[in-house]
Amino acid sequence: MSDAPKEEPTPKPGKHPARRARTQASARRPPRQSPAIDASAPAIERAFGLGPGGIPSEREPDVLADSLDGLQSLAGGILESLAPRFVRDLNHEIRDRLAKAPLELNNYGYDPWGLNVDVARRTLLVFALFYKYYFRVKAYGLEHLPRGRMLVIANHAGQIAIDACMIGTATVLEADPPRPLRGMGEYWLPTLPFFNVFMARVGGVVGTPKNCIDILHHDEAVIAFPEGVRGMNKPFRDRYKLQEFGNGFMRLALQTNTPIVPVAVVGSEEQAISLGNNAPLAALLSMPAFPMVLNAFPLPTRYHIYFGEPMEFRGNPNDEDEVIVKKVEQVKARIHDMIQRGLRQRRSIFF
Amino acid sequence: MEAPLERLLITGIAGGQGRLVAKRVADEFDVSGVDRVPWEGHPHQIAVHNMDLRKKKFEDIFRREKPTAVVHLAFVRHFRSDPMVRHEINVAGTKRLLECCAEYGVKKLVVLSSSYVYGALPENPYYMDEETSLNVSRHYPDIRDLAEVDTLCTTFLWKYPEIATALLRPVNTLGYYVHSAIGRYLKLRYVPTVMGFNPMMQFIHEEDVAEAIARTLETGVRGVFNLVGPGSVPLKVAIRETGGRPVPLPEPLARSTVERLFRVGLYHLPSAALDFVKYPCTIDGRRFHEATKFRPIFSLEDTFSSVRH
Repeated sequence: MSDAPKEEPTPKPGKHPARRARTQASARRPPRQSPAIDASAPAIERAFGLGPGGIPSEREPDVLADSLDGLQSLAGGILESLAPRFVRDLNHEIRDRLAKAPLELNNYGYDPWGLNVDVARRTLLVFALFYKYYFRVKAYGLEHLPRGRMLVIANHAGQIAIDACMIGTATVLEADPPRPLRGMGEYWLPTLPFFNVFMARVGGVVGTPKNCIDILHHDEAVIAFPEGVRGMNKPFRDRYKLQEFGNGFMRLALQTNTPIVPVAVVGSEEQAISLGNNAPLAALLSMPAFPMVLNAFPLPTRYHIYFGEPMEFRGNPNDEDEVIVKKVEQVKARIHDMIQRGLRQRRSIFF
Repeated sequence: MEAPLERLLITGIAGGQGRLVAKRVADEFDVSGVDRVPWEGHPHQIAVHNMDLRKKKFEDIFRREKPTAVVHLAFVRHFRSDPMVRHEINVAGTKRLLECCAEYGVKKLVVLSSSYVYGALPENPYYMDEETSLNVSRHYPDIRDLAEVDTLCTTFLWKYPEIATALLRPVNTLGYYVHSAIGRYLKLRYVPTVMGFNPMMQFIHEEDVAEAIARTLETGVRGVFNLVGPGSVPLKVAIRETGGRPVPLPEPLARSTVERLFRVGLYHLPSAALDFVKYPCTIDGRRFHEATKFRPIFSLEDTFSSVRH
């Protein structure tokens, strides 16, 4: 982005970006004098009726805020030391892997789209615990991930978007270099209090074409589910039947010359068993769907995530739907094949 | 014998931004200014006319001085005065000025609009470009006059291809001299925010805005340009960095409180302004950088410390 080139370079491997941001934050405390004001003599300021000001006064220390910060980090420290060994190890692993990820952070620890490494790390820790010990994910084909920009296209299932979380955890924990994925959210998500902040801090953005193009031009990885809610909220009897794909992702891939990484998730369909959609209730609550789910908590199915070889497409992004649909169908067919192969290889839903 | 300097007229010269621009370009241009309020102790080489843009006599300045360049900064951006007067000064005043520019052979015109004209909407992309529609009036009718002014100037830009009109839309401007609504908001010790929302916000230092205006005049670029500063941070980081403490209020409470306080004059912004601390209104500044090679000098840290109390 416009401000992108001036921001912090990618953090060096092994040095934790969050810690770096914090040391910079403490170094920031005494307000620096502004260069341009220093350069111009005070006499000029006065001549232009600008008065003696311009240089801010020293900030008085805020005891309450500082002690609150201290308490917070102390509490975090105690929690961390109380946590079992394997959680601490996992936390450190995620920290190291995020430091190796190609993220561009400013002095305050935020990237140009509002991602914050600290929040991302804590969130990934929770996801990673589920990834390793609950869904016991097996990821295949991560070596196929291209460097630079990519569009990860996957099947969507399971009533809540755990598949997105597991794919994103796989690309951070097991890909080399680690690749944080950016999700494209629905337009109404930013209106949800608290969730909108969380979504931005872990790398999600509103799914407008401009956001997607900017992020891809920034050589980052975007994940999209062209089935959308149609796929996620389908009833149990339709499991592993790919629903209609949207065309938007293909136009964006053509426009930005982005390779598409097809991904098949096996195991997500059985985590939640839905008898069908209660459309009137969904309309009443103005929700996109209201699935009648049998189990309140996702079942511990084993996830198998297959990353396919990148698919490159060329063509006019503004072509007629017919032309675009043909290309979309190729991606859909590839994901379908990968799902079928995964289902054949799977010996048990839970093990 | 050196060539005579270009004659530059700055409207709204007595304001903080006007003074900074005047100071920045004083060596390159023969500067004169006009403002409704007098500028006490202005430098003697700058002629300052104490006048309202809406007055008939305003045209005399163009007749007599024949400025070849104009920087238009005379906008009412606060809500202290009558909304009717505000609207008239902003819209009718700009229209008058544009007519004069067309009539008296002005070659370069720079107008300082604002990124607020895009509006803060939940579906805004992070980096809105200059083609984004001006949506501010959808939820924030109180400042629709700024969108109208912006549209007037874009029309003018296309109507008079021989005039190098540049419309700048800067992000939140902070600084010691410029009294911006966002600056006033961040200077509060306890800053009301909407609970559960913490949008990314971009900031630019007032001197960088002055520099950008000067750069526009020097290069003579034509077009509509977003103007961004050194980057963006979440609102709450900005509040902390300027020495305040965020006070998150549930949205209905925040809206009703702010609206009531505004009505009795105890708060400087109407409740619709809360959208700007709820949803992002962040813009893409690449076009201006590519056209003028402008880069902000002031970092985010410098920019925040300029309004720290």
